[in-house]
Amino acid sequence: MGMKRPPACVSSARRDIGATLARFEDELLEILPRLRRFARSLSRDAADGDDLCQVAIEKALNARDQWQPGTRMDSWMYRITRNAWIDQGRARTRAAQTFLPEEAGVAIGDDGAHAIEARLELALVQRAMAELPDEQREAVALVLVEGLAYKEAAAVLDVPMGTLTSRLVRGRQALLARMGEAA
Amino acid sequence: MTIDDSLLMAYADGELDPIAAKRVEQAMANDPALERRVADHRALRDRMARAFSPIAEEPVPDRLAALLTNTVVVLPPRRPRVSPWWPAGAVAAGLALSLGLAAPWRQSPGSADHAGGALGEALDTRLAAMDGDPRVLVSFRNQQGAYCRVFAGSARDGIACRDGEGWRLVRTTPGSHAAGTDYRQAASGDAALLNAAQAMMAGDPLDAAGEIRARQRGWR
Repeated sequence: MGMKRPPACVSSARRDIGATLARFEDELLEILPRLRRFARSLSRDAADGDDLCQVAIEKALNARDQWQPGTRMDSWMYRITRNAWIDQGRARTRAAQTFLPEEAGVAIGDDGAHAIEARLELALVQRAMAELPDEQREAVALVLVEGLAYKEAAAVLDVPMGTLTSRLVRGRQALLARMGEAA
Repeated sequence: MTIDDSLLMAYADGELDPIAAKRVEQAMANDPALERRVADHRALRDRMARAFSPIAEEPVPDRLAALLTNTVVVLPPRRPRVSPWWPAGAVAAGLALSLGLAAPWRQSPGSADHAGGALGEALDTRLAAMDGDPRVLVSFRNQQGAYCRVFAGSARDGIACRDGEGWRLVRTTPGSHAAGTDYRQAASGDAALLNAAQAMMAGDPLDAAGEIRARQRGWR
């Protein structure tokens, strides 16, 4: 029996590199809806949320060499987004947080009553979130909005579990107190 | 054992081990207030998740998705000018010739100017995926290795290349885009610009990551 021809190593290696590059962007695209939601839950309104999301994507593209294929891109991206948000927070002066997000009041158009209710609810929840200190807001966003386990959230924030749970419980107590009144 | 709020929260979130969960359940059985508190934690969790869920369901805005799709603008097919394995000198000579002969859009020597103001700033900072006026359609390196960017706006369209002084306007035409239109829908006037860019280009246009890196290095 003759030996089989060896596979075409060069071309398959090239394909692998191409596939890795494509996978990075494809995976990022796939988690983009959740990333937007996370950015939104940290931000004051839709425009700020998408700006933050854009900065995070740019940082990720720039640091793509640091991402290891096979590891969880969502955790990596949550971390990048959160760090970008912290950087922005240090740079900007905080405006008074008693606002009503723009989209709650305008552009209702043909939306049904259900959609209007959903927008008002989001505006209300977002306003309550905006009043939390940053460290509580990020814990609430990761666990309650994104549904991460405590361990995962602690890893994204790079804090011990005890720190995460104490921030989370304080954030929730504040939200329960505020939104209980508003309901 | 004392049952504090963080224990109730962890129970509500399903984060306790079975033994700790059992203790909380026993305490709850004897104290309706604890049971109510667990219900409050669960209700808050559901409410937060529900309030933000529409954002993950709505379509991602183009400006974000475009950062992850390599070609924002579809370039016209490259004309088979020279075979890639020709000696580099012959390539350069051939290109110099073709640029000299077949570049009717080129402004006469001396009228070349540098971009300033809003255009200069846009060329320095704006990525091809971003909205704005002017909008950058595509970025690339020319045969000399300098960064060039194709822009389109309400005032004028053109191609600018980076040199020692800033963005040299290699070509400009009156703006083909009214303010507020979607630049991503390439207008017919863009075809000539993009063909011109294609002729100047060495290699492929920059993708999103390449643009960001180039911008960080100040387009040098």
